Amino acid sequence: MSSSKSNKIVKLESSDNKTFEVEEAVAVQSETLKNMVDDGCANDTIPLPNVNGKILEMVLGWCKKHVDETVTGDELNKYEADFLDLDQADLYGLLMAANFLNVKGLLDRVLQRVADMIKGKKPEEIRRIFNIKNDFTPEEEEEIRLENAWAFD
Amino acid sequence: MAETSSSSRSSSNGSPMTNITQDHLFAILLLLPIDSILSFAMTCKRFRALASSDALWESISRRDWGPNSVDALKKSSNLLFQHQQQQLPWMRLYKHVSQLDSVSLHKLTYPDTHLALPRPRASHSLNFVSDYLVLFGGGCEGGRHLDDTWVAYIGKDFQKILNWQKVNSGIPSGRFGHTCVVICDFLVLFGGINDNGSRQNDTWVGQLTCHETLGISLSWRLLDVGSVAPPARGAHAACSIDNRLMLVHGGIGLNGLRMGDTWVLELTENFCSGEWREILTCPSPAARSGHSLTCIEGTKIVLFGGRGLGYEVLNDVWVLDISESYLNWVQILYELPNIPEGVSLPRVGHSATVILGGRVLIYGGEDSQRHKRDDFWVLDISANPSITVQPSTLNSARLLAKMWKRLKAIGHKPKCRSFHRACTDDSGRYLYVFGGMVDCLVQPAESTGLGFDGELFLVELLLQL
Repeated sequence: MSSSKSNKIVKLESSDNKTFEVEEAVAVQSETLKNMVDDGCANDTIPLPNVNGKILEMVLGWCKKHVDETVTGDELNKYEADFLDLDQADLYGLLMAANFLNVKGLLDRVLQRVADMIKGKKPEEIRRIFNIKNDFTPEEEEEIRLENAWAFD
Repeated sequence: MAETSSSSRSSSNGSPMTNITQDHLFAILLLLPIDSILSFAMTCKRFRALASSDALWESISRRDWGPNSVDALKKSSNLLFQHQQQQLPWMRLYKHVSQLDSVSLHKLTYPDTHLALPRPRASHSLNFVSDYLVLFGGGCEGGRHLDDTWVAYIGKDFQKILNWQKVNSGIPSGRFGHTCVVICDFLVLFGGINDNGSRQNDTWVGQLTCHETLGISLSWRLLDVGSVAPPARGAHAACSIDNRLMLVHGGIGLNGLRMGDTWVLELTENFCSGEWREILTCPSPAARSGHSLTCIEGTKIVLFGGRGLGYEVLNDVWVLDISESYLNWVQILYELPNIPEGVSLPRVGHSATVILGGRVLIYGGEDSQRHKRDDFWVLDISANPSITVQPSTLNSARLLAKMWKRLKAIGHKPKCRSFHRACTDDSGRYLYVFGGMVDCLVQPAESTGLGFDGELFLVELLLQL
């Protein structure tokens, strides 16, 4: 893009009417926003009715960190690890925002984070972490446990 | 789509997990090992249903077995015919592949024609490429070498009747104890011994062509490798590695001594030339011949057995991961007494092939009592990260217990054999075995009682579908 070095500002508005102004280089980390910029639809404030202010701020923070050339590889890794230390509501909000805004890498990181919360855990632990109600009868649970025993050696 | 509210409200409303779309849930499950996926499935009815989706398990199968096996299985019409449905029962299939405990053997009968058949032989090469079995060379009675190339069409379903066709002779020059591997759709042949006892180190590339009118033909040409090549050898081991590499180890060299060197051949994109380089590692597997190399998971090369410098039959297992920046042979230690019937595991002249599910199927060969065998073993190293110290914890002992599994064999009972050759089709579910040295009931002219076998048979992984 020939205008990548320009100081063009992109204006975004969250679902709860908070506005954010970021440099174009930061905004285009989102493929969705990049398409809008390329199509010339980014001149006015872009409304984002499915992303609230708290989540949008996080996403933009992520994007900013990723265009910052002064950030080292190690710093970026630490940032990404700390970034995802969130409560579940924020985590899922982030997942949906990253999906909608199509931010490269962020969606993958969130999915990996959720996977890490499940990995190596027994069903009771997974239920506790994700507040899942156990709707099996004890007989059903035993039946499934035997059915799946082959994978647990 | 629910908008996120404050965290305290969503946790009391039930699981926030229910807000995740099915696509995202599948993406998350695909990042997990099987036991975690099934743990998740056991949390509630909704997630059990979701995690049992055959679409999900097809993706898991693709992830764990590779796309080639999965695509080949989908095309295999006999499986679909059995189920009369569009979708294979992937979850059940995955479970049965993981729990594989038997194989079914089928004699591949020859049609009643006057067509010539490949003569009985051992230490030949047998490969599956472009829907054909390709057989080259080998040794036969009198210690004579053979230089003929034969092909047999296999196609997508296994057929009980195969037609062998001789397509070439004289090129490459006659030899036995050579290796031949498949890289993309090319055959790459290396080394071997001729009946003068001369060991070779030439590399040949073979390509199958199917003409509309002329039928099938196979052209062999000598590969230009420049000035660096491994010392000449026979009875070495080789395997192809995913893209354009071939790994070679050991074998018997010019002066009759067994070697323990490791070489890699890298071919150019058009397969017209290649470059050999030696891989030096410490420690490395001891010198040996009649052992096997197999590539699993795209980058890990598994070495097993063979006959060592002191003529002893070996049972050690080594792994080399070609994707690491510093290449290392790592030994996987295990105790023979801990494996049921493990005393028979030291092997030379066995066949080792990757089967559906990504594990190694070991068949036949000669044991340390000089007996030829007919048993099938599955070697599974996935449970072990590289264990280089003696296992002392209960957990390690349990992992090592999964390493070797003897399979039951039903159906046809071929003779015990060594220095036979085996290869699978694209699905990895069918293994073709040809030739080898077998014990003879009737004494031939030589006093050893050895015979060369010319049988072709099929080993089918039994999957109880």
